[in-house]
Amino acid sequence: MAIFNAKDRIIECKLVYYGPGRCGKTTNLEYIFKAFHKQANSEMVSINTMGDRTLFFDFLPMGLGKIRGCDVKVQLYTVPGQSRYRSTRKMVLKGVDGVIFVADSLEVRRKANLLSLKDLAENLKEQGKSIFNIPLVMQYNKRDLEQQGIPILPLETLEQDLNSKLKVPHHLASALTGEGVGSTLKEAMLLTLRHLQKELQWTK
Amino acid sequence: MTEKEQIRRLFKEADLYRAQGLLSDSKANYMQILSIIDKSKTLANHKQLIDGVKGKIRAVDKILNELRDAPEKLELSEDLQDLIKKLFTFSQTKEAAAIEGAVALAKFGQYEQALKEFYKLLEQKVLPVVTAKNMIKCYAALKTPEAAIAQFAKWKTLDLFSTEDLKYIRAFLKTSLEKEGFKTEIPEVDTKPSLPSKVKRKKEDTFLEISAISIHLQGGPLVGQTMDFDVHFQSANTVTVLIPSGQKKLAETLVPGTRITDIQCYSPVTVFRSTGTVSGRAKIKHGPRRGDYTLDISIDAD
Repeated sequence: MAIFNAKDRIIECKLVYYGPGRCGKTTNLEYIFKAFHKQANSEMVSINTMGDRTLFFDFLPMGLGKIRGCDVKVQLYTVPGQSRYRSTRKMVLKGVDGVIFVADSLEVRRKANLLSLKDLAENLKEQGKSIFNIPLVMQYNKRDLEQQGIPILPLETLEQDLNSKLKVPHHLASALTGEGVGSTLKEAMLLTLRHLQKELQWTK
Repeated sequence: MTEKEQIRRLFKEADLYRAQGLLSDSKANYMQILSIIDKSKTLANHKQLIDGVKGKIRAVDKILNELRDAPEKLELSEDLQDLIKKLFTFSQTKEAAAIEGAVALAKFGQYEQALKEFYKLLEQKVLPVVTAKNMIKCYAALKTPEAAIAQFAKWKTLDLFSTEDLKYIRAFLKTSLEKEGFKTEIPEVDTKPSLPSKVKRKKEDTFLEISAISIHLQGGPLVGQTMDFDVHFQSANTVTVLIPSGQKKLAETLVPGTRITDIQCYSPVTVFRSTGTVSGRAKIKHGPRRGDYTLDISIDAD
């Protein structure tokens, strides 16, 4: 839940990277940490199990500088994607202000994307939030694999599967190379801050 | 595409999936390769190829098994446990925040540390029934029914709980242990006339935990409609729900004192119908839910 300290003009919000297991959520955060190291308020925290799978969450707090006279801070989280960690995902989603849904472009992960998006909608609902109202950005990751001849889903299929009802902004990305990572985060931040402006009126 | 080309493509995909940790997908491709080789009449070095693929499948299976057998939760360092408490505590009040921090530890599988925190809270007499219930959840998750029962026996000797509290905690303990597959004898609570606990503390929840309610409106402009709410807070038989600012009409209908004759209550263990009275209503003036309404409903305990 965003915190707005009117006296010191500080706004702090929470963005969560969501998506199926092995879709590249942690890779997104690692790239952000590497590329925007100066803005990071501390080291990135990752709690992984064997095989580099996220067990609990990744956490990266960042300062985005001043926007309209307000110090903007953001806490970036990832959830564990494996289906068995549903209760952990629910916990990490608590108080979320904006979501980046990282979809895996690999053809073989089509069903996993759908299940994960459904899981997100359900977990948000349990918090009294709607997937249709929360600031949300789609990221179609692993687009670089097409060049290696690996079958990936066309943009139209991903949009049809995941975004035909939501109609939220989407970004093509390759988290490994960093392509599309910054633009996804930027758009998610923009949507979230706009949304929070309506609720908290932090720029007044 | 020739068989050779097909196999080469499948290998390439399988190796990439494996490198990405998509082990089941990788294995599926290797199996497909085996099937092609098996049916092929043109491929040379059949046996050598099959052995190679089988070797790759064995390697993938090994990782799959290791992952399956890996513990679901890890014991984290003190720093990480502190971070979890800090990041997943949202309540403003000190007592609720302390409970929330310990619950967060338990949710992340740090049961031992959570138990330590709950012990401290119980010593400080912070929401004893809630704390006791959370301790039971930890014991159940740790699969230590004996410890849970010993703890319950100790609680019986303390001045912390009333007879009614103890009965409620016993029932909760029984259900929790049964859920984990333990059918153990639990000491009965004396059925002497209920004496209130001597310890001064806030009136607490011995009422069933309610997670959501549906109200069938029988008056006002929305008569006949059924409204669903998640319960945001519960203290004994009073639940607090939120009404979005957009539903002003509804909020204005439910003034304090309004009787609600049809409430469907959803708890984790059962669904039941009840009646109740609106006991409070307020407009939220600060924070992200500014403009929304909080509504307190006291549910009749039949």
